[in-house]
Amino acid sequence: MSVHIKTIHPMKYMRDFLARNIRPDGRKLSEVRPTAINVGSISTADGSALVKIGNTVVICGIKAELTVPNAENPNEGFVIPNVELPPLCSPQFKSGPPGETAQVSSQFLADILVNSKCVDLQSLCIMPDKLAWVLYCDLICLDHDGSVLDACVAALVSALCTVTLPEVKFDAITKNKTVELEKRRPLTLICFPFASTFATFDENSILADPSEEEESLCSGTISIVTSGDSLYSVHKPGGCQLSENRLSECISKAQKRSLTLRGMVEKSMESIKS
Amino acid sequence: MAGLQLLSEYGLRVDGRRPNELRQIRCKMGVFSQPDGSAYLEQGNTKVLAAVYGPHEVRLNRSKTHHDRAYINCQFSMAVFSTSERKRRPRGDRKSQEMDMNLNQIFESAIRTELYPRSRIDIYLEVLQADGSNFSACVNAATLALIDAGIPLKDYVCSCTSTLAPSQGGAPPTPMVDVNHVEETLGGPGLSMSTLPRLDSVVHLELSGTRLHLSHIDPVAEKAATGAADIMAVLDKAVRGHVAQCLHAREVSGQGADA
Repeated sequence: MSVHIKTIHPMKYMRDFLARNIRPDGRKLSEVRPTAINVGSISTADGSALVKIGNTVVICGIKAELTVPNAENPNEGFVIPNVELPPLCSPQFKSGPPGETAQVSSQFLADILVNSKCVDLQSLCIMPDKLAWVLYCDLICLDHDGSVLDACVAALVSALCTVTLPEVKFDAITKNKTVELEKRRPLTLICFPFASTFATFDENSILADPSEEEESLCSGTISIVTSGDSLYSVHKPGGCQLSENRLSECISKAQKRSLTLRGMVEKSMESIKS
Repeated sequence: MAGLQLLSEYGLRVDGRRPNELRQIRCKMGVFSQPDGSAYLEQGNTKVLAAVYGPHEVRLNRSKTHHDRAYINCQFSMAVFSTSERKRRPRGDRKSQEMDMNLNQIFESAIRTELYPRSRIDIYLEVLQADGSNFSACVNAATLALIDAGIPLKDYVCSCTSTLAPSQGGAPPTPMVDVNHVEETLGGPGLSMSTLPRLDSVVHLELSGTRLHLSHIDPVAEKAATGAADIMAVLDKAVRGHVAQCLHAREVSGQGADA
């Protein structure tokens, strides 16, 4: 019987649950789904990570290539994120060129990298104005069940932690590059930003880490990118109004979650070192 | 790579296997929640994901329906980071389109399409790490995903790629089964064969790379067919294990016959 109400009156189904302060999958309103982070599984990539938040799965692979730096920033390298939402992850996506959601997510990640300065671009430069690293970060969503931005940011940061770059010697006169593939130095991150998404429902309830069906019924979402003590980005694309109190509540919840996620990334890094 | 021999003097390949040994196969079914059927398969270091949506209604392009059978749509895609050189076009280039067509034809002959007229079955394949035999691994993963989706098949579709190590020291050339990336790129012939093992029939055969002398075709093809039959044993075991697990989970949660 409950299955029929869910199909015919999805909003009523949702509201009945929220009236009792619980969600259809049994979680409390501010409870997040179990998260798992796995790093270094793709050996052809220079850095990789797989993040699973509930049923949402995102994999990130980073490939490093050599290029000439920009004339405006001659001693900086590049980090280029790209999010792909293939039709394999959800029936709502069709095959073809990247759709709106994928492009918005890619830009969101690029903005976070610039705002948080989490990778020191100058450390990617080998010789100013001549040679620098460009890190192509490709994220593929394998299963779309809501909170994809959270999983993407977590996968990107975890994969960046695992990147090791080979030593490159560049002779400016002969323009000769020698790459020593065996000697690798890890990339150091300055900070670890993590995103938390909340869905607002009916101006009353705020659900942390919404699943796909909650996202489709909610009246707006808000994504907050923090790292423990600093706030990097707040992304609220329209949606219903949110009071200041509610916003500060969300920010503090996001900060707590980013600390937990950071602990998980460090634990998974330890496990591959051993 | 002048000194690299595909087969050492002790009869071992570059990764330490014997010529008729398959790589370790690990597979898991039902890995994702959104698709109707999904599977993850590892053949050595080649990692492939398959997702199946369907059978479902054809919404946009009515011309792509058949009145008497299902329309199969396969999409093969390699992740940008799957190869040692970053792959610029994950899909849509000629090689991928050719693979899409081959996969379509393989599964059109293996799926009981006459049971689902006017509907569509989508099979999406994603190669996460490419280490040789990518196409074969994709076919095997797609079979598992179709079984997970509950789509009736005539038989398991198992695929294997074999090659011929050049003769050395007077010994005749040796056929080798389940090639990895090094063996594929060193320039020997690569015979990719997909079969329905229990029906003893071949659904797809492709020879790429250098030419193969007629007298060598039989041993190489036979090696590929035996490889495919061995892979079927692995897939069958995985399917039975998965079904037993699902049944057990159902019993534990107390679900009866009604939904």
